Amino acid sequence: MSILDTRMDDNKYRYGKTVIVFLLFSAFAFAVNKVYSLFGHGVKSDAMTWMFLYPLILGGLFYLLIGFLLPGMICFTGYRLFYNLYNSGIAVFTIGSLLKGIFEIAGTSSPYLKLFFMTGYVMIGAGVLIFVILILNYKRSTPKELTK
Amino acid sequence: MKQFLFKPYSWAIIFSVLLTGATTYVLLDTFVIPKSIVKVIVDTTVNTEADTDAPSTEDSESAQILTDTSYQDDNIKINITTEKADDTTVYIADISITDISYLKTALANDTYGRNIKEATSEIAENNQAIFAINGDFYGFRDYGYVLRNGTLYRDTAGAAEDLVIDNTGDFSILDESETSTDSLNLSSIWQILSFGPALVKEGNVVVDNTSEVSRSMSSNPRTAIGMISPLHYVIIVSDGRTEESTGLSLLELADLFTKQGCIEAYNLDGGGSSTMYFNGKVVNIPTDGRTFGEREVSDIVYIGY
Repeated sequence: MSILDTRMDDNKYRYGKTVIVFLLFSAFAFAVNKVYSLFGHGVKSDAMTWMFLYPLILGGLFYLLIGFLLPGMICFTGYRLFYNLYNSGIAVFTIGSLLKGIFEIAGTSSPYLKLFFMTGYVMIGAGVLIFVILILNYKRSTPKELTK
Repeated sequence: MKQFLFKPYSWAIIFSVLLTGATTYVLLDTFVIPKSIVKVIVDTTVNTEADTDAPSTEDSESAQILTDTSYQDDNIKINITTEKADDTTVYIADISITDISYLKTALANDTYGRNIKEATSEIAENNQAIFAINGDFYGFRDYGYVLRNGTLYRDTAGAAEDLVIDNTGDFSILDESETSTDSLNLSSIWQILSFGPALVKEGNVVVDNTSEVSRSMSSNPRTAIGMISPLHYVIIVSDGRTEESTGLSLLELADLFTKQGCIEAYNLDGGGSSTMYFNGKVVNIPTDGRTFGEREVSDIVYIGY
């Protein structure tokens, strides 16, 4: 086994850890909706029902794919910034959906709710932009660089 | 600082603290922090041609006949009956008044605003109400027309059907999404309540088995008001969410109004808010399904001088 192979395995392990964290986060969001619905007198909110999809698709599925397709990207300068922004965006979307669901079930609203979703869009957008730049650099990189 | 932010978990810790703080603030702002906007100046003069004939408080409350379930004087007649319908305890108040100025609304702490709340019975006592029910809980939302005792407090349209009570005591329903307050002759309107939906229009039930308030499902405590004719009203409050009383669907509620002979009927805030107050006592058994007792609300509809 070469150093490159060892490094790639380590990268996949780190992606796997991220995927598991997002799957747990998604399961937690799903459970929160189920528990909340016990006290909602049958009232449901789509925003709360489907909030678990943010960490599941944008988080778990996304990192699963890049773990397989672009495993070396984790070594790139800028990846940590993408990782922080993108994950924070997912968290903001999920919490925003939770709040939206709570307000819909209660029959109220908040002017601040849109700020959550705007912040989520900005963070995910910035994260995706950095991710695209990383992909472009990834294609130009040599295997040696990916093992740094 | 830059190094700190790029360390694993540093960003996560800071961001989690910020997100938790923001979430807590939004929840407190929405559900807890009171915001006074307008202090109500009590002026219950109705702008009608019959103003000169409107009774004053001096000749009010004359020759009262009061029992546990009824009240009668020269201007107001209230009779409350309790019955069982659809496995639910239902309180039906038949109310006749000689002038629309006796059908009033009041706001918690006499203040228009958000998260300003008092129990229905407290607001009723503060206003010397003979009879009262919870209103539309306008203070829980930032939208929906609020016109009370002739004064417009909020003209932000939502998607609700509103109950309009004009100065002659006639009921009508308007759709906020289609009618702006600018297009209304506000001087002819005594009350606008924004919750809904309408239950009965022109003698016809306008809800069905699938109809629901967006925030209230099938069997629930309910509060609703109907009109047999101008100045002759029926108010129904139902218990619910208990083994003894399951609660009513909107269709069941609408059917009760048509049985009473109402040609118009309108659903108000229900669930834990549903409260009927008469002569210093709460008539029904308010509950949110977990605990018993009155929920604090923003406003009431009441009968009094």
